[in-house]
Amino acid sequence: MLEGFTVGLIKLHRSLSWKESNYMKLWISMSFAVCLALAFIVAPLPAAEIGQIKNTAGQVFLLRNNAQQPAKPGDLVEAADVIVTGANSSVGVTLIDNSRLSAGPNSRVEFKQFRFNPTTQEGESLTQLHRGTLAIVSGQIAKRSPDAMKVQTPTTILGVRGTKFAVKVEE
Amino acid sequence: MHLLKHRAALVLAPALLVSGCASVNTYVVLLPEEGGAPAAVMVGAGNQSALLDKPYSAAAVDAKSRIETKTVSAEDANRIFADALAAQPPPAISFILYFETNSIEVAAASRPTLDELFAAVAKRQAVEVQVTGHTDRVGSLADNDRLSLQRAEAVRAMLIKRGINSNFLRAVGRGEREPLVPTPDEQPEPRNRRVEVIVR
Repeated sequence: MLEGFTVGLIKLHRSLSWKESNYMKLWISMSFAVCLALAFIVAPLPAAEIGQIKNTAGQVFLLRNNAQQPAKPGDLVEAADVIVTGANSSVGVTLIDNSRLSAGPNSRVEFKQFRFNPTTQEGESLTQLHRGTLAIVSGQIAKRSPDAMKVQTPTTILGVRGTKFAVKVEE
Repeated sequence: MHLLKHRAALVLAPALLVSGCASVNTYVVLLPEEGGAPAAVMVGAGNQSALLDKPYSAAAVDAKSRIETKTVSAEDANRIFADALAAQPPPAISFILYFETNSIEVAAASRPTLDELFAAVAKRQAVEVQVTGHTDRVGSLADNDRLSLQRAEAVRAMLIKRGINSNFLRAVGRGEREPLVPTPDEQPEPRNRRVEVIVR
């Protein structure tokens, strides 16, 4: 009885050792599952719209919750959305604090954080330009509180005191 | 085989991330604003920072967080950012509609402005409308919060009735908190009994 159990254990161990890659697969899928679970916990509650796409030219995509869809004028932008443009493409966006952002070709813009209270006019925003070009006219957030509007690139953080400026990130 | 692939991927991934960042450069230019409003952008990189506060002052930042500031020509800035600048949406326009005391009816004198508002809303593509109601300082804070919201909602309802095609049409009330003309409490002031409409 006990012997049988031990042999069984050894067999189990062997069968596992022989397929070490399966451990790795298991480990990877488990880590993936944990990451996925964490992503759901960390993910913000259903986001409200923070702005709108006003114009598009060429190939423009809106990335939300890992899903990608072609962007068109009138599409709502939510916090955490990413807008991507292709070659010879551009997009214009207005946000609810009246700021205006427009990206040129081969750009990737992420609306990392955005909070704006229309009643108090107070808020803060963090937009990241991963690559490409971005022209910005700041709105109420920067007007109300200098540096509350921030723009990030892979190497810099910009504190916006107003109003019109442009950023380029080249790889 | 699988194991090798995974290990190789795990080792390579961080290397790619690092090398990906290492070649990135950021270039920032402050542009003149149409209204001539004072403008400035603080550029921070690592422990360093530089303030851009003159039109066409620019900063170039390399992967080692070195900031180099200079002034660029309008032609250069407009060429580098030509596509992005061409895609800038037009600025928002705002309208002010006035109201009689304790009323949610737009005052007769504001009827023409109301028509201008309807026209502007009809003309814009992917239009967004933000309606904000205000009151003067007659009455309690709470009553004025309620009245200002009712004024805003009345304007919103008129836009909906006119068949506005918008997926962003929001009405809020700010009560007596943001007078156009500051007054002592309980003083009637027609210029503060208003609804401001921002059309994007």
